Amino acid sequence: MAWLSHDETIALLLSLRVAAVATACALPPATACAWLLARWRFIGKSLLETALLLPLILPPVVTGYVLLEVFGHRGVIGRVLDALHLTIAFRWTGAALAAGVMAFPLLVVALRTAFESVDRKLEQAAATLGANAWRIFFGITLPLSLRGLVAGVALAFARAFGEFGATITFVSSIPGETRTLPIALYELLETPGGEGGALRLTWVAVIVALIATLGAALLLRGQRATEIES
Amino acid sequence: MIELDFALTRGEFVLQLALRSEARALALFGDSGCGKTSTLHAIAGLLKPARGRIALDGRVLFDADERAGVPVAQRRLGVVFQDVRLFPHLSVRDNLRYGAPSSNDSSRFDDAVQLLGLGALLKRKPDRLSGGQARRVAIGRALLCDPAALLLDEPLSNLHREARAEVLEHLRGLKRELALTTILVSHQADEVLALADAVALLDDGRLRKVLPVAQFGGEQRFATRATAEAR
Amino acid sequence: MHKIFALLIFALMPFSALATPPPTIFAAASLKPALDDLASHGTLGKPAPRLVYAASSALARQIEQGAPADVFISADEDWMDDLAKRGEIVADTRSDLLGNALVLVAPKTSDVQVDLSQPQTLRRALGMIGRLSIALPQSVPAGRYASQSLHALGLWDSVAGKLAMSRDVRASLELVAMGECPLGIVYRSDAISEPRVRVLATFPAASHQPIVYPIAIVRGHDSTASRALLHALESAEAQAVFRHYGFDAPPR
Repeated sequence: MAWLSHDETIALLLSLRVAAVATACALPPATACAWLLARWRFIGKSLLETALLLPLILPPVVTGYVLLEVFGHRGVIGRVLDALHLTIAFRWTGAALAAGVMAFPLLVVALRTAFESVDRKLEQAAATLGANAWRIFFGITLPLSLRGLVAGVALAFARAFGEFGATITFVSSIPGETRTLPIALYELLETPGGEGGALRLTWVAVIVALIATLGAALLLRGQRATEIES
Repeated sequence: MIELDFALTRGEFVLQLALRSEARALALFGDSGCGKTSTLHAIAGLLKPARGRIALDGRVLFDADERAGVPVAQRRLGVVFQDVRLFPHLSVRDNLRYGAPSSNDSSRFDDAVQLLGLGALLKRKPDRLSGGQARRVAIGRALLCDPAALLLDEPLSNLHREARAEVLEHLRGLKRELALTTILVSHQADEVLALADAVALLDDGRLRKVLPVAQFGGEQRFATRATAEAR
Repeated sequence: MHKIFALLIFALMPFSALATPPPTIFAAASLKPALDDLASHGTLGKPAPRLVYAASSALARQIEQGAPADVFISADEDWMDDLAKRGEIVADTRSDLLGNALVLVAPKTSDVQVDLSQPQTLRRALGMIGRLSIALPQSVPAGRYASQSLHALGLWDSVAGKLAMSRDVRASLELVAMGECPLGIVYRSDAISEPRVRVLATFPAASHQPIVYPIAIVRGHDSTASRALLHALESAEAQAVFRHYGFDAPPR
């Protein structure tokens, strides 16, 4: 990366780390939510669906302030985290939380669609063969929804990578800690004469998006190849 | 001993039947829409009756009064669905083994494979199987989960003549080799004659009659339109 | 949020042909309490002008791109100069409207003491995990002044790794008001309008560029209404209100 300054490289690496951690940590709860919504009817289902959409509907700055209220040093949970030396306020982990929260709804929607596309009759058949819910999920539902899963993860990663409003409001801009690529890009845009640098960083973001998309496509192609072979 | 005494509604359709049969292999016979598949699904636990009791060989699977209901996965019933439902992402071998994943009993496995003529198909994926082959794999899969009873839903449906004959032959073989309580759903008389010991005649959600298979052959007026078409 | 506001105004433009719309002021975020007050009391004319607040940097960029502002009040000269260079303002309407001072603030409930001539007091006040809340130095005027003062007073090295930089000065003020940051650097006008913070010290005027709020009419929006607005803002009545909110007369 000879054509990126030191600061810009740090911002890029930080963004990659934040987005990867955000996506990885969002995946288990998102999978649980998606499976619940896809396969179960329960009281409060609409409420859950609405709550999940909130990060998409609310202005990101608002989400950022909510995170600040809850996870900041003075926040209900933040206070506890501080006491346990697990502070996330003004740390890259806080940036990861912001990115994860913003990417969460997209992930749930994608995973839910993927699970709903799996024929329930196959899951029923698995149950008659004695499989418990775990075996059915991991052995039948998950493998058959892999395509949608990979697409969902790629989408969530992209959203997490590009996250700006909630991040800068919650953890502000701290070089090396919370100054992700989108924030660095923003700062350049807001500086007189910074357009050139902003364009450079934009290209970097495009390249990251391309790699993520290609990676997902390759993963799926690999899966399809094994299907054809056997 | 097959004990069915329940009622269930699916939308507009009401199914209600009560029977006790000592037959080893009972066929549920009737036109499409008479409730025979729903009955099978109720026995399997995929449908929940509004009231009543279901027991097989002394094991109570469902009892509304006692609020007892064995979960699907614990009913130990081998179900062969009309739409086959093989797992598309697993090989034939893995499909067969799905019901008994931790079993080290390779002799059971080999016996079933031999009984159903699946030896050459083990490495294939379900999309590479013919109708008859897929059906046989489904039967093998149901057998290998070591069930207390076998539930067959129209096992010969949607098969062309040769495949029908092939699968029927294998089923006959199974009937000979294994003494497994079997409930068979069918709307075709020849299946019933070949495989059942007793026949329950269903019509529009109601049980009309239960008779030994020998008498069924004589009751030609119960042969349905579908059977006539099949010939 | 302000971008949505601007877009909304833009979308309403065709309908406003039916009635002359009130003039629109794009103003630096720190002017919000004072300008809202003036507008609501009718000092700026009736109907009250539409007020759009954001960091001066964001507003300048929007004006460059043709945002429908009639009047622009920036929190520093650099952004006004930038627009002037691009010919985006009516040059002979430019003047200095206000001055301000830069202060160090802490949450109201905090009892820290800081002596700006002693770097260690600053460090101690921040503690192990505390951060100094300022606006982004490269792009937001308040951040630039803060950076200049810290450098001039030899305090930069003590705090360089412990800064939390926000999008605009009101966001950096909010972090202190919420108690998330033990210290912050904002305008005196911000500190006065925020009951949840208290002023610890004022940065000497000599330690930073003079804080000037230039005002100008945006190119293509020179009208009687705009000029009247300018006049109203420069009037003694308006200036008194600005004083009340912590602003100074413009330096020089």
